Amino acid sequence: MAKLVLPAGLLVLLLLGGPMLLMLRYSFNVFDPLFLMKQAFTFENYARAVADPYYQKILTTTILVALACTALTTLLAYGPAYWLARMESRWKSKLTILTMFPLLVGGVVRSAGYLALLSTDGLVNAALRGAGIIAEPLQLLYTPGAVIFATVGIVLPYMILTLASVIESIPRQVEEAAANLGARPGRSFFRVLMPLSLPGVLAGATLVFILCMNAYATPLLLGGPQFQMMAPAVYEQFARASNWPFGAALAFLLLIVTVILTSLGSSVIARRYRAG
Amino acid sequence: MRLTGAIYRGGIVLAYTVMLLPVVLLAVTSVFRDAIIAFPPSGLSLEWYRNALGRDEFLDGFVTSFKVAAIATLIGVPAGTAASLALVRSNLRAKQAITTFLLGPIIVPGIVAGTALYLTYLLAQTRLDRDIVGTLPGLVAAHVLLTIPWTVRVVTAGLQGLDRSVEEAALNLGARHATVFWRVTLPMMRPAIVAASMFSFIQSFENLELTLLLVGPGMSTLPIAMLNYLEFQIDPTLAAVATIQIVVIAAMMLVTDRYVKLSRIV
Repeated sequence: MAKLVLPAGLLVLLLLGGPMLLMLRYSFNVFDPLFLMKQAFTFENYARAVADPYYQKILTTTILVALACTALTTLLAYGPAYWLARMESRWKSKLTILTMFPLLVGGVVRSAGYLALLSTDGLVNAALRGAGIIAEPLQLLYTPGAVIFATVGIVLPYMILTLASVIESIPRQVEEAAANLGARPGRSFFRVLMPLSLPGVLAGATLVFILCMNAYATPLLLGGPQFQMMAPAVYEQFARASNWPFGAALAFLLLIVTVILTSLGSSVIARRYRAG
Repeated sequence: MRLTGAIYRGGIVLAYTVMLLPVVLLAVTSVFRDAIIAFPPSGLSLEWYRNALGRDEFLDGFVTSFKVAAIATLIGVPAGTAASLALVRSNLRAKQAITTFLLGPIIVPGIVAGTALYLTYLLAQTRLDRDIVGTLPGLVAAHVLLTIPWTVRVVTAGLQGLDRSVEEAALNLGARHATVFWRVTLPMMRPAIVAASMFSFIQSFENLELTLLLVGPGMSTLPIAMLNYLEFQIDPTLAAVATIQIVVIAAMMLVTDRYVKLSRIV
């Protein structure tokens, strides 16, 4: 029976493992305008990716946007997740499907929806003007705020579903016990529910952080041409600049930074709670 | 106390509004008469749907996305289900490491995996002297990287929840191991497999990052066709295409939910 793992294992090895090794090798090569690439073994591309202020700025923006989105998403998801997890009526399964639904509609479609919401003639500006709050339309689109807002909206369902499934596994009696012992709701939340739901927060935040670091459609569509994040920058190196070694190094930089930050985040939070 | 409750309820309303409003908004704007989406519209029209259906890039994109998603699901779900059986039921060593490896394609950013595949395809193209980038097999192979991890994720979770006493009862009553597998285990796994198929199909259908570099002239997926059309401007034709996709996805979810309770899976 153990052999059953082979087809899937070999496919992933062939389609992900092999290509990643090839890209790693390419990232040590040298760009050549004539032959695209020359065999070499140099850390030049990584040095440039880290030292060039242009790419430093892109990486910093990406990390800051991803951190902001992860924090906001966690904050915003907790209430709905708790509501969903503790719901007992027949609406529960309907609401779960409704939460899953935007996930399955896809990022491009929903980014288009955020465009219709935030553009100069969009719903928000029209509503504010209609209410007489503003005379001239606000520039909402092509701002970091627009990217963060749309990205949060896009990853929110992942966080709610992950958190809800963990909260569901926490027995209700634990909260009742805290209440019986005189803990007020706020205290019960911070001292009982939150520590117990921490594995869910970590799992959800990790997934959301990876998705935000990797975001392509939202920065492109809602950030405008001046707003740069890593995923479009990596794509650019291959689709337009054709600088494979540097593009490969950028891609690995993105992967390494994502892995380091997610593992750092989980260990810090886990240690904090073990101590407290 | 009252303030806490207000924040709690307000937060729930805010979260669902942020999540669902863009989807609703697209459906609404797709029947606006004006060529540039503006609120309030000067009138309503279904013209954009005819326009959307008449544009080849969307129809071709839809057909390509559908084919890729269907074939990738047909490959990934059996492979992923077999792997899940091995991971949950066999005495395989290093299960945790193998699970992480199989879920790897979800953990590695799509744009990174996509560029790695692109470089591999280009290398293979020169060696084999045939096109891979911009072909159906090339896209399907890439999307197997989506269908396998999603299947492993959903089916291992489903298998862990299975009651083994039913299978033991069948064995005690004299059924052979193969019979138990085909007549007892597999039917009990059906909900998880159906859900895994739906998730795999949709993950593939709507994927953008992994696919970006792998499409070619005449062979583009629907999300990429939509992204190219958007060009920093949203118009009712795109809203109409998006609405059709939204309706198709919603129908798929409701049909699947009739067979397996989706809320029990995720």
